[in-house]
Amino acid sequence: MNPQIQTIAELDRVIHEPGRLMVVALLFAVERADFLYLQHETHMNKGTLSSHLSRLAEEGYVKVSKTYRGNVPQTLLCLTAAGRKAFEQYRRKLKEVL
Amino acid sequence: MDQVESLLSRPKFYYNIDGLVELGGGFMCLGSALLWWLLMRSPADSAWHQISLFAFVGLMLLIRYGTKAIKTRITYPRTGFVEYQRRWHSPVIAAALGALVTASLYVVFRRQWDISMLASLTGLVFAAAYGYGIARAVRWKWVIAGAIAVASFVIASLPSDVLGALASDSSVGHPGRAKLDGSIFLCLIAYGTMLLISGGISFWFYLRHTQAPAQDAQ
Repeated sequence: MNPQIQTIAELDRVIHEPGRLMVVALLFAVERADFLYLQHETHMNKGTLSSHLSRLAEEGYVKVSKTYRGNVPQTLLCLTAAGRKAFEQYRRKLKEVL
Repeated sequence: MDQVESLLSRPKFYYNIDGLVELGGGFMCLGSALLWWLLMRSPADSAWHQISLFAFVGLMLLIRYGTKAIKTRITYPRTGFVEYQRRWHSPVIAAALGALVTASLYVVFRRQWDISMLASLTGLVFAAAYGYGIARAVRWKWVIAGAIAVASFVIASLPSDVLGALASDSSVGHPGRAKLDGSIFLCLIAYGTMLLISGGISFWFYLRHTQAPAQDAQ
């Protein structure tokens, strides 16, 4: 197999999906952020963003914690060590391909 | 790939999405200008000279916690909360730079060197830092970066008499010191005003174009 195609085939499918890629890239640059921030930056609706976050949490890439800001519930999200490593690897492979 | 890289830089620019960083910077410059002016105008043995450092620290704390309170009440409920990564080297570099500048100013004042032109031209470094940190995200702010650079040149080219007239009576005997005092005062006023204008416009736009979602949004 062509090594370039081989590298493409090795890309992490969970991160490669555009919606999830946006979420992971935004979380990679910060310590943690809330749901509202991700919704504001990605322009996704609540349902779509929730489903992407669930998939990332399932994979162990994102840690979700629920808290309160005053009386308002707040969902805080941060990238786990596994998530950071996976994203770094994804970026490296993507650079190789391009 | 570029799109991924641009996504990575977006949270950095989010910090000033509401213009509060500039407003804080503007108040800091104008507050410092006021403190500087009071220092220049009061006699060297006055109580003001003893407490000026505490007044400066108080001003910094007020701006720090004031900005935080406004962000908590206005920004986070509208466009979300972000906690940035804490890097150990940032405060170390800031402290080292602060110590270096303080030590340099001490030597300059002791030896009465005339560095008023150099002090004004540090505005070019400030303009470059502003361009890199803030204007990259919002294109019209390059006008502010340019205005800061132009103001630096104008202040650097002002005649000594004008700068000296702003300084204290006690430093009139030392022309170099009088010029330096005057140019620092003018620089603080000019940069503070520009930051306030720019931050004020951003804050106004932010309030106009954003709204807190209904409580069940999260």
